[in-house]
Amino acid sequence: MRNRRTYLILITVFIAVYYLFLGIYLNRLGYYNHESLFFIEKSKILFEGLGNRLKVMGLTTPVLPFYGTVFFSWINPQLAPVIASALGTALLFYVMCTTLIKRTNDDFYLLLLIVLFLFHPGILYSACSGKSIYMVLLFFYLFFFHIIRFYSSNTTFHISIASICLVILVFCDYKFIWLTLFFIPLVLFIATQSLNLGEKETIFRLYQSFNSPALRRKLVNKTFAIYIILFILPLASILIYKMLNLTHANDFNYFIESPYATWSVLSDKVNFEQATSFAHYHSSQISPIVTASIALFCPMILLAIYLFRKSSYQILTIAAPFAFVEFLQIKYDKIFLSQEYFLIFLVLAMLCVTLKVHESRKQLGMKIILSFLVLFQLVTGYFFLKKSFLTEEQDFVKVLFNPIPVDQQADNMDMADYINSLPTNAQIMVDDAIAYQVVAFTHHIQRLTMPYQESYLSSSEAPEHYVNYILVATDQNILTGYTQLNSRYLPAIKKSDGRLSLQKVYETGDWVLYKVL
Amino acid sequence: MKISIPELLVNDGFITPGNREKIENFSARTELSFIKIALNYGYISRKNYERSMSNAGFDFKPVREETFDKEVLDKVELSFADAHLALPLRIEKKKVVTLMADPSDQLFLDFIRMTYNMEAEVIVADDLDITWMTHRLLGEDYVKSAVFELLNHDAESSALTTFSTGQLVFIFLIIGGLAAGLVLNFKNVTIIVNVAMSLFFLIAIIFKLFLSLVGSRFELYQAVGREEVRNVKDDEMPVYTILLPVYKEDKLIKKLIWNLQSIDYPREQLDIKLLIEEDDDQTLNAVRGLDFPAIFEVIVVPFHMPKTKPKACNYGLHFARGKYLTIYDAEDIPDTDQLKKVVTLFDKLPDNYICVQSALNYFNRNENFLTRMFTLEYSYWFDYMLPGLDTLDIPIPLGGTSNHFKMDSLIELGAWDPFNVTEDADLGVRAYAKGYKVAIVNSTTYEEANNEPFNWIRQRSRWIKGYMQTYLVHMRSPIKLIKKIGFRGFIGFNFFVGATPITFLVYPVLLFIFLAYVVFNLAAIKTLFPDWVLFMSIFNLMVGNILMIYVNMMAVFKRRFYELILFSIANPVYWLMHSAAAYMGLYQLIVKPFYWEKTTHGLSKFNSATNVIN
Repeated sequence: MRNRRTYLILITVFIAVYYLFLGIYLNRLGYYNHESLFFIEKSKILFEGLGNRLKVMGLTTPVLPFYGTVFFSWINPQLAPVIASALGTALLFYVMCTTLIKRTNDDFYLLLLIVLFLFHPGILYSACSGKSIYMVLLFFYLFFFHIIRFYSSNTTFHISIASICLVILVFCDYKFIWLTLFFIPLVLFIATQSLNLGEKETIFRLYQSFNSPALRRKLVNKTFAIYIILFILPLASILIYKMLNLTHANDFNYFIESPYATWSVLSDKVNFEQATSFAHYHSSQISPIVTASIALFCPMILLAIYLFRKSSYQILTIAAPFAFVEFLQIKYDKIFLSQEYFLIFLVLAMLCVTLKVHESRKQLGMKIILSFLVLFQLVTGYFFLKKSFLTEEQDFVKVLFNPIPVDQQADNMDMADYINSLPTNAQIMVDDAIAYQVVAFTHHIQRLTMPYQESYLSSSEAPEHYVNYILVATDQNILTGYTQLNSRYLPAIKKSDGRLSLQKVYETGDWVLYKVL
Repeated sequence: MKISIPELLVNDGFITPGNREKIENFSARTELSFIKIALNYGYISRKNYERSMSNAGFDFKPVREETFDKEVLDKVELSFADAHLALPLRIEKKKVVTLMADPSDQLFLDFIRMTYNMEAEVIVADDLDITWMTHRLLGEDYVKSAVFELLNHDAESSALTTFSTGQLVFIFLIIGGLAAGLVLNFKNVTIIVNVAMSLFFLIAIIFKLFLSLVGSRFELYQAVGREEVRNVKDDEMPVYTILLPVYKEDKLIKKLIWNLQSIDYPREQLDIKLLIEEDDDQTLNAVRGLDFPAIFEVIVVPFHMPKTKPKACNYGLHFARGKYLTIYDAEDIPDTDQLKKVVTLFDKLPDNYICVQSALNYFNRNENFLTRMFTLEYSYWFDYMLPGLDTLDIPIPLGGTSNHFKMDSLIELGAWDPFNVTEDADLGVRAYAKGYKVAIVNSTTYEEANNEPFNWIRQRSRWIKGYMQTYLVHMRSPIKLIKKIGFRGFIGFNFFVGATPITFLVYPVLLFIFLAYVVFNLAAIKTLFPDWVLFMSIFNLMVGNILMIYVNMMAVFKRRFYELILFSIANPVYWLMHSAAAYMGLYQLIVKPFYWEKTTHGLSKFNSATNVIN
């Protein structure tokens, strides 16, 4: 066992190096995404900015992935998201393998896991893109691991750790708070199962429990207690976080609705607008078909359900994420499901297989089926990314399989290069709600006046007194409607101050830099 | 005397011939007199004994005012007199006036004859009065030893000195520095203090959460399994001493006997000592008034300051016969198999484990709000925190009762510190400092939760004062402490013992400032809480409260006390009571550090069912 653990550590190190190499290589080829750029920009503010940096630190969301990036910023701010995602995914691999080697001595299953982590495009996306999917997957895995362990052990340890994992998960991606909804019926089911009754059938157990006052009281108390133990931490944490948002930003939902707090507000809108501007109909993201898509993306989840066929509440537990994803489709109908929501099923399926595979009597058959499923999933993983509705996912798979430099961020980099060439004492007004992509490539951000600083408001009212340059979004810029500093700003500010004179000094497709004369 | 007392009791039908034989065999093994065994090991009640003696013409005389001669007393050993329930008092008319519970005790009469070269003039008296006289007149050396033994042999560990010079200098330097800082730059110094307090709070709470999670991992671990207990052979069990220090607990004596009788342990191997203070006639009379056999021996603790439980226990230790020893309170209901579990566990553990702590919980948990909150607190403390400390190898502050010791190791440690009002917590740390370990056993003792708020605050003030004392004693030389218990133990000790009183002292201050800020929106407070400090403080206040509430919930969830889970939310109110107690404790630490704030027991109206383990 000790030997296997040593090997496992070595393999994990190898995988981490592999991810790092691949991630840095893709980064050098010019692959970026909104999330990593947003975090790079906020990290720069945190370390170099002048102004209310603590607000940036506290209210930038998702909080934990942001801190994950910040942690590696001392190595290289530009590569920090990639380093975080590479090491985080390697950690996920290690955690999953640890679960596996505790249950089976057969290295074949370990090999399958290694293949999956080395070649699955979705996993590679998680590891090399610099996005926070790694953290979601890790804590999603741990949450379900402890929930399933709770079923067998009935210990407070597992359920409270599950609850803590759920809190972390919610702070990695707020939408996971809705997962709690689908545990509500499940908890009643679990409480019924845990009662000491002779009857085995759930429906009769429920009937018996409800018709005996003592059992009914016990059932109600236990159900309620499990709800509390499982959900009070995530719900209270969200409430506290909302209060912190209220005290510091005067808005309960600042963290999910402000483009200064999270990258997804604008990028989700842009993605949807871009996608719906095409004529074709996106049938695969319609409610019942999502479940079918998931089954196609990760058929191993069907095997997982089969393996748990004798434990009805564990099957319901596996079904909860399906209901959750279907719910997201209805609740956030203008947002496409990203790769993250497909990958959680891959992780869940692997967890279930890990927990159950050693119990199978037909090991050879199981190995053949699993091998086939793993290979199949490598292919579906590729196609799901290639055919994704999200540009950054498509871009990733393009760069991964055609390693030629991409000019995805060329405009932003050009503008940032120009700003970098300006004198060090020049002050540039920038609205990082949309210009974070430029800021991420800019050096010495003390030169930038941004909305997190108190002087920004005065600067936007009377730029000639505070700044030397203004970065304005062009009409071509797809996000131009989401910033104050756009083409409509200039006539307005000139109207209020007739003496203001501006000179266009540099222009790219999305940006124009004006000098205040 | 024509008939011996044993014979008389057999003839009167109070003792069977079989039991008489048992008592005589037991007496031969232990050197205890027949009457001592008969009255203290559950063979005959004192009422029946008195009845039998009275029928035979022996009337018990009141003897407390009898005069005595020191020279006569000097010739008799306390343990011998106590074992025979007899005491020579003075020489009168060439006879030794001797108090005896059994006037037919030939061995003692021979002793008188041989020692004084005179015959005895016997005054028959109640055994409890004789015990009272014996300890009062002969117990001085023992009680002095009980008070000063630790001080004489290990003065550094004694809480007789509350603050060392170094500590006083440190405290006044901090206060002086703070005052100077406030004068020079009030705003910045206050902000620094705010931040320091917030961080301290958060770290302390995260540490407790961590301990709870570590502790909860071992939820299913059974230190001793049922099968192991079933395999225990009664005739191989060692003598087990149980000390029961009581003070004015007359209402609980009957309950106590019932609880003790339920313990599953060979009766003759139990050495149960009820430790009664010299001035506690209430309890003594309650024992005298029992109309069924007692199964404990009464030890009267002579008056000596400080009048504390550890002093009484140290005194009782002089008379203990057991290989192992434990302490219970009068109202305690231990799991019936607890002693067997402990013996089994000691057999399994390495030699350096000298103490086993059982969990404590409450039988009257649903009585009122206070008992519910107390149950929440104890569940989390004993089921999670102590196992957590145990796993991480951090000194365990022992609980007030149900800590089981190896007798020889306890004596080697210097037993309890009579000047420390949480002598148990202190002893736990002292044991770790000497390289010994404490284990946790999967057995619970049910106690009576304090159900009256002022009584609760008094009790808690003593506990918190004791924690302060313990902290001050062991932090006289932090470097030495690190060397003794290691850095991890040192950090654990600071956060667990040191931080506990401080958090309770600081909590109401922070809460008041926060509420004043929220409710009155005071501008002055705003300047002391710039945005970032406010951010941290609110985060700490919220997260800290939530986490502490959550660990309480975890603990009652484990105990399956589901009906209590929501009461965890009331913890912030409960902590305010802790704060009141902490301030009372701090005041007493300064003005009367050794004062033992007595907790009144027996207030519960709940029936305490015996916790039978099958």
